[in-house]
Amino acid sequence: MTDAAATGSGATGGRVRYVPGQPDMWAFVLFEALIFSSYFIVYMIRRGSDPDLFLASQERLSPAFGVSNTLVLLLSSWLMARCVQASREKKYDVALGQVILVAICGLLFAGLKLFEWSREMGEGLRFSTNEFFSFYYFLTAIHLLHVLIGFVALGVAVYQLRSPLSRSQEIVETCATYWHMVDFLWVIIFALLYVMR
Amino acid sequence: MSPGSEKRLGIAWLILSAITLMSWWIGSNHGHALMRSAPVTFCVIALAAVKVRVVIMEFMEARHAPRLLRRITDAWLALLVVSLLVIYVLSRDGIRAG
Repeated sequence: MTDAAATGSGATGGRVRYVPGQPDMWAFVLFEALIFSSYFIVYMIRRGSDPDLFLASQERLSPAFGVSNTLVLLLSSWLMARCVQASREKKYDVALGQVILVAICGLLFAGLKLFEWSREMGEGLRFSTNEFFSFYYFLTAIHLLHVLIGFVALGVAVYQLRSPLSRSQEIVETCATYWHMVDFLWVIIFALLYVMR
Repeated sequence: MSPGSEKRLGIAWLILSAITLMSWWIGSNHGHALMRSAPVTFCVIALAAVKVRVVIMEFMEARHAPRLLRRITDAWLALLVVSLLVIYVLSRDGIRAG
């Protein structure tokens, strides 16, 4: 929401304060953040009960995949933020180009994840192998589901940017807020599954 | 896009990517078997928290949002990080890792 008067928050320190996108999406983001936090906390408790098993299992993962996926999602988030800026400045063609690049990054993320899973399953590492892999497949699958839902958000953003009559900056920002949430949830998953010791 | 905001977003992205590579290096086994390590875990979780906050403040533009929204996101992140680290320390993982 770029209209500060609509938020009732006015100006602070000479700068206009506003909630980017629809406040309802922020409520959803906080709800999702709490749901994922509960998964992370349960994971940490279970990890503490058998740290050797979790560490030995973690060693079977390829951190290069985790890093690549993190870099791809960070790149997509940066492009999405640039899309919002371009759209705000009414450079809709530029913004549209950025959303397409975000979608390509999303597809690359999903492709890398599927390839990583297939490689691990080929090595006999399944959901039922042990508790670490149950968490690993559950967390990464539920996150990938959020990425797929993110494609719907990207589709909405494309529709908005291509429709001169019904264009809404607020909806573009709302779609971006969702996409960034997918990014920051992965950042925590990467730390907990791939690199902590 | 104004050059100022474009530059700021670019710097945020570079910082996020650099932290990702740094946490990979910190957490890697450097050719040896993975060993439990409380310092590595603390570093990695703290770096992840920094990254999440940069994404929320810069990319999600929470830095332009009313103070209440920033307080809520900061409170969530602080609570999550403290909970994860306390659980780690209280579990056998933390005790054995020293």
